[in-house]
Amino acid sequence: MKMPDSSSMTKSPIAIVTGAASGIGAAIASELKTRGWLVAGFDLRPATSDCDVVLDMSDYQAVAKGVDLVRQSLGQINAAVSAAGYYEMIPAAEITEEQWNRMLHVHLGGAFNLAQAVIPDMVEMKSGAFVGVTSELAIGGGSEDVHYAAAKGAIIGLIRSLATEVSGSGVRVNGVAPGPTDTPLLAADSPWRAPEYLATLPSRRLAKPEEIAYVVGYLIEEATFTSGEIISPNSGAVI
Amino acid sequence: MSIPTYAGKVVLVTGAAQGMGKVIAQTFAARGAKVVVNDRVDDPRLHELANAIGGYAAVADVSKRAEVFAMFERIKSDVGPIDVLISNHAYMSMAPFVSYNHEDWWKVVETNLNGTFWLIQAALPGMRASGAGRIVVISSIWGIIGWPEATAYSASKAGLVSLVKTLGRELAPENIIVNGIAPGVIDTPQLQVDADAAGIPLAEMHQIYAKDIPLGRIGVPEEIAKTAAMLADFRMQALVGQIIQVNGAEIRGRV
Repeated sequence: MKMPDSSSMTKSPIAIVTGAASGIGAAIASELKTRGWLVAGFDLRPATSDCDVVLDMSDYQAVAKGVDLVRQSLGQINAAVSAAGYYEMIPAAEITEEQWNRMLHVHLGGAFNLAQAVIPDMVEMKSGAFVGVTSELAIGGGSEDVHYAAAKGAIIGLIRSLATEVSGSGVRVNGVAPGPTDTPLLAADSPWRAPEYLATLPSRRLAKPEEIAYVVGYLIEEATFTSGEIISPNSGAVI
Repeated sequence: MSIPTYAGKVVLVTGAAQGMGKVIAQTFAARGAKVVVNDRVDDPRLHELANAIGGYAAVADVSKRAEVFAMFERIKSDVGPIDVLISNHAYMSMAPFVSYNHEDWWKVVETNLNGTFWLIQAALPGMRASGAGRIVVISSIWGIIGWPEATAYSASKAGLVSLVKTLGRELAPENIIVNGIAPGVIDTPQLQVDADAAGIPLAEMHQIYAKDIPLGRIGVPEEIAKTAAMLADFRMQALVGQIIQVNGAEIRGRV
């Protein structure tokens, strides 16, 4: 007896993950794949996802076009994760206008651009999940992290406000605030990798990208009564 | 990482005769754990639950240190050491602050705050011997934002927040990971108590609570149980001393 093609019987949910080519974004894409999702990866370089979109997240029009492309090639978007970002440490007095603007446009702009492109449809569908990746540094602060922490802190405000605005439509908006995580964003000589620093962490080690991705998977699939919440897997760096 | 399974793990859930505790116990059992269910009195519902999930019923008033340690001795010899502790029990009474009587104050604090403290103390030797443990403490949204006429309950639940943070720091180096959950309004038998106190039908009580929750509804115990199962995952060591707020985006305090 010929069994019907399973792919025609069950439709996989569809997610966009930004920054999907490496680090935490790649781990999130992989986590969602494991959970049976189709994933569109947005990044500056191809992410080897079900629908790669190469773009700069700070480009409002490019993000809107990318989201349209995903709708056409994969279908309606059920979840979006804003994970694209970069990290640099600079003493506050030395941060240039260009460095400040770039940091804000990639992180806060990237989250806003993605949210504005995907959430109206989710509100219409009365279902959907948005997860913004912020940072433990936005909660605890860090020396030479002024522009990074300011951008990531603004994402927390965005998440909490958007949650109060759209949760009534059944759309959940949450954040994950990783502590120092073992990804390419942390250079080999980063102070966050120094043994003396790791010894101060209650968990005694950096977070793993898979652990961050697991929390994101939980927020998307299982945290059905959670919105406006920021969960911080940070090895106990900020409690 | 996939959804965690708890095959081979022993999980103790307190306050499990009804409400959230019962569903948490069922959830861990469904994921393969041997579940020990506790409640304050020898309630037939506790034994029915234990039978239904292939678990073990352990009666103890957790506000009494000696009863907690005696219960752990029984569990240790009959089931084995506890790998996961879900401190879920709670006692609540409400009254205006000036007329709140001191017996009630102490009953709330001794049950909610002291009870959790004794449970963790009693659970630690077994967790240390096995080299790992997971502890999830159920606090409350009222422990974070406060609530009129719930001074004792809110203070006890806020005490649990600090207990989680402190023990998160103290025990994580031993791979004993402590986190908490602060549920918002959840559909449990407590809502019937609230409705009776207000002299209104249960359905109306649900609507009154839902009106202030951005997601437009109250939560269900399964949503707390799934969060507890995530926090108890032995593959996770990055979440330490955190309080996960499961409240339908009821972020702001209101009076």
